[in-house]
Amino acid sequence: MLRLRGLLIQHHFLSNCSARTASSVACREYDVIVVGGGHAGTEAAAAATRIGAETLLITQKIETIGALSCNPSLGGVGKGQLVKEVDALDGLMGRAGDYAGVHFSILNRRKGPAVWGPRAQLDRGRYKEFIQLELLNMPRLTVIEGSVEGLLVSTADPEQPGKHTVTGVRLADGGNEILSSSVILTTGTFLSGSLFMGKTTSPGGRMGEPPSCSGLTHSLREILGLKLGRLKTGTPPRIVKETVDFSLAHLHLPDLRPTPFSFINTHTHCKEQIPCHLTYTTPGVDRVVRESLHMNSHIQQDTKGPRYCPSIESRVLRFPGRQHQVWLEPEGLNSDLLYPQGLSMTMPLEMQLRLIREIPALQRADIHTPGYGVQYDFVCPTQLFPWLQLKSIQGLFLAGQINGTTGYEEAAAQGLWAGINAGRTALSMPPLSLSRTESYIGVLIDDLVGHGVTEPYRMFTSRAEFRTSLRPDNADLRLTPKGFEEIGCVSSPRYLEAVRVRQGLSEALSALKSITMSPSRWKEKLRDACISETKSTLISGEEMLQYKDVSFDMVASAFPEILSPYLEFSERIKIEAVYRPHCEKQQREMERMREEESLSLCPDIDYFSLPVSLSDEVREILDRVRPSTLGAAMRLQGVTPAAIVHLLNYVTRTGPTLHLTLLPLL
Amino acid sequence: MMFACCRRNTFLITHKRLRLGFRCASSASSTAEPADTIFALSSGQGRCGVAVVRVTGPAAGGALRRVAGLSCGLPAPRTALLRSIVHPQSKEVLDRGLVLWFPGPHSFTGEDIAEFHIHGGPAVISGVLQALGSLPGLRPAEAGEFTRRAFHAGKLDLTEVEGLGDLIHAETQAQRRQALRQMAGDLGHLYNGWSEQLKRCLAHVEAFIDFSEGDLIEDGVLNQVDIAVPQLQMEIEKHLCDERRGERLRSGVQVVIAGSTNAGKSSLFNILCQRPAAIVSPIAGTTRDIVETSLDIGGFPVLLSDTAGLRDTGDCVEREGVRRARQMVGLADLTLVLVDSMQLPQEPQMVSGFLSEYLKNVLPSAKDHEQGYVLILNKSDLLPKEHISMIQNVLTQTSDMAPVSILSCHSREGLDDFLTLLQDRLKTLCGDPLAGSPSLTQTRHRAHLQKCVDALNQYYEYRDTDLALAAEGLRLGLSSLGRITGKVGAEDILDVIFRDFCIGK
Repeated sequence: MLRLRGLLIQHHFLSNCSARTASSVACREYDVIVVGGGHAGTEAAAAATRIGAETLLITQKIETIGALSCNPSLGGVGKGQLVKEVDALDGLMGRAGDYAGVHFSILNRRKGPAVWGPRAQLDRGRYKEFIQLELLNMPRLTVIEGSVEGLLVSTADPEQPGKHTVTGVRLADGGNEILSSSVILTTGTFLSGSLFMGKTTSPGGRMGEPPSCSGLTHSLREILGLKLGRLKTGTPPRIVKETVDFSLAHLHLPDLRPTPFSFINTHTHCKEQIPCHLTYTTPGVDRVVRESLHMNSHIQQDTKGPRYCPSIESRVLRFPGRQHQVWLEPEGLNSDLLYPQGLSMTMPLEMQLRLIREIPALQRADIHTPGYGVQYDFVCPTQLFPWLQLKSIQGLFLAGQINGTTGYEEAAAQGLWAGINAGRTALSMPPLSLSRTESYIGVLIDDLVGHGVTEPYRMFTSRAEFRTSLRPDNADLRLTPKGFEEIGCVSSPRYLEAVRVRQGLSEALSALKSITMSPSRWKEKLRDACISETKSTLISGEEMLQYKDVSFDMVASAFPEILSPYLEFSERIKIEAVYRPHCEKQQREMERMREEESLSLCPDIDYFSLPVSLSDEVREILDRVRPSTLGAAMRLQGVTPAAIVHLLNYVTRTGPTLHLTLLPLL
Repeated sequence: MMFACCRRNTFLITHKRLRLGFRCASSASSTAEPADTIFALSSGQGRCGVAVVRVTGPAAGGALRRVAGLSCGLPAPRTALLRSIVHPQSKEVLDRGLVLWFPGPHSFTGEDIAEFHIHGGPAVISGVLQALGSLPGLRPAEAGEFTRRAFHAGKLDLTEVEGLGDLIHAETQAQRRQALRQMAGDLGHLYNGWSEQLKRCLAHVEAFIDFSEGDLIEDGVLNQVDIAVPQLQMEIEKHLCDERRGERLRSGVQVVIAGSTNAGKSSLFNILCQRPAAIVSPIAGTTRDIVETSLDIGGFPVLLSDTAGLRDTGDCVEREGVRRARQMVGLADLTLVLVDSMQLPQEPQMVSGFLSEYLKNVLPSAKDHEQGYVLILNKSDLLPKEHISMIQNVLTQTSDMAPVSILSCHSREGLDDFLTLLQDRLKTLCGDPLAGSPSLTQTRHRAHLQKCVDALNQYYEYRDTDLALAAEGLRLGLSSLGRITGKVGAEDILDVIFRDFCIGK
């Protein structure tokens, strides 16, 4: 009963577009206002809308909504998990990726399904197109162009924690004020952003767009008294495709059959995938980097940049004399440009040209747009609750790079969660937090609000302690049912599909368990598998699948009458069977963590005056981080077991509405 | 066991069944996976007649039956039964003692609890703890773990939490010092070395998982791990089988005499041992190495050390002595800080300032109230009586300096008061369960090491089929080892990755 389904794309016409001019909305009041139209902003607006909040998205240019400002790709190891989870909660990103992808591959295919990294090269134009079509046709969502100059703030509701309450935003030109109960800031690199190339610096957050948000920075720092930090990042020059000699680079082909990101897509949109190319730096590149150092002010700054996505300058300086990889990635099906992944640089334009021409495949290459660096302010995320609202300002939510993260996927994940909670707050529902034990989104947010950031934060699978349970394949089982039943952010067709899959998997595994035979009988049935016959006990079908070279299809062909109905889940059943014993072992630890996460610490405890014997050091840590739960407090370095016992005095158990409980998967 | 265990016992052994207003929401989690079974010595140290070892968790009943040889079933709940306590593997009889059975939920933790009331000798305690540690599914409790379980089961009054917090604070500090003592020498090097190696192995596997595609991390990275992991596993196994346990770990409160040269440290040491164990001379710097002895003071086991006088010196032997003295002070439960009264400033008002400077020099880490000390002004016979009472007046006014003892090792004046003060302090220190129990630390270490070895097997099992599951084995192994050497977090692993590899994508 293989059910084939078309790609869920609706072709809307821009005629019924809900974009309006700023003046027409000025007098209205919204439940949620989202500032910014990047990956965090779009997911936030869409999620708030999905749970029923009347939402306004304010962006500088509707034209740039959904723009991929850096790499033309989505997903990867760790990031792919986030895309799947955003999709499982009915976000946009996964479906947009399926629509815009031109080169799909699953990274880490050889290393175990828990760490598979679904990834795709994207067509920039198509990605933007999809996101804009979705947003501009969404009921309850209004999109306007405008620049937010400041926040409207009044005194806090004394019943709730916090010093201020946000009541809306003020627009730049004309000073129009728009009222709302919740505001989500997703301003990316635009908060006091400055661009760097060579020795020149100019204000801005993205090349070619006007600087903005200076008023916002002022609001956040001076009026609301928030602690800000500064980070940097960069982007490579874009190269004119026809000037590249691909014969001098290695061809890199996509997966033969593209795997969609979205759980509700059975295939991707692109008819014919296009390849990538791989090439390497030469000693000449090292030379140009060293010669240009004195005219490169970005690289000389102390501001922290990402360690895992360094500029070519920092790679050469840290690991001199090596060949570094450069991926030549397509920018789209019909684009004339190439994106040289690995060549992010901030030297003067003429040096950039000299540098790329030191690479054989790029000997005669031309630069279309130069690379540049960005430095920007971020709000130290330890000032946030796990539902991404600022602890000191009721109704004000932050998501994306403003919280010190990097990457589209990280931004989208936060945007979605902030959107849900901003909507809930506006609709007078209690906020929700996601546990580390149930999702990468939970890990991401817990890391941010619990530990803060010292460099741009990116997701890695090694950050998730329950990695073998939080797999890309089961994100729908983990999140979609609760997204529908408890949050209301999931559409009913998607929910029904997840329920159908859960039912199917569960039945298939029970059927497998019911088949038990001796090893020798199994050997007769499955001639190709190498089964050790030394075991004397009976082996179940589920246990058979734990053998490396036994697939579900093999077992199903031996028992077609019992198992053939489940062939559409073949791969997922195999993964479940292999991982189940490990996940069961992890359950206990996960249970303990959830238990401790359900004990809330009041956000305004005065740790310095608690009448218990805590060392000054512990008081200082607790005061600085203000953990939301006992679990978060336990993960802080320097907090002793004794301190935890003392804190038991000050915890309150939170009801099931505030904390999602993990449903047994199958 | 008069004073040693009474404080703990009042609420541990009598099992108050106080319900909290809010019962644990997920005590319904009994439907979930069972919790670990943990054990701990819950009576205090000191020369008690009886020691109490408690086991809580789903395997408590099984443990009781195996160790107390109860093949036909569990004893009646809450009824004492006299049994031989037998090691489940070697079948050696360890002791004869009382066993009690408290089936959940009517117990302190809400879980099944077994209690062993055994003889208080260190060998017996150590034997029983080792025996319990050898049973599958049992592990030594972490600090505060009994309490947290009681809290989660809704069995703890909030006012009790406060007292327990303080107690666990003392417990943790004592445990930490005990662990540090054991780790100070070769053992520490060994464990830390393993932890470093395993951390590196894990970092390399994680790098291969998180970064290898599109980066210059070759498959060769794993080859190194393939060599390192079995080696590590073999080393740990060998260590676990090694019957030479190194220097015998002596139980007792570690008391150190420290101070500047010629303050009379060795004289005090000799008085306390009641024999001329250390050489005493008027020459500054006579004592150069640590002189150590085991004593019994007021019924409490004490390990007393005399140390070299603290001063800057050009003599390299003496300098080493001073280094050792400082290290000793750092690990001590109690430091007797000796001051030569003749060195005190003439002006009584200046005395407290002088003494706090002096303390800062002897106890550099005195910032924490965890480091116990007694300040002793020696050679009181050399000062006029009026001067002494003036000093006493000043010191009683500055409360943060207490307690101070003024005595003379020469005339023995003030010695009785000092001994009373010392016994008082020992009483508090010995009241901490687990405090100086090296055997428990040892049991804990062995349990974690064994768990580490077992976890590493998972690496080979999945090395070629599923690297995520293989890495899981290394993670579990490292987290067991981390319980001895300190936790290793995700950021630590990432630090190694970025140090060792050029990650570019």
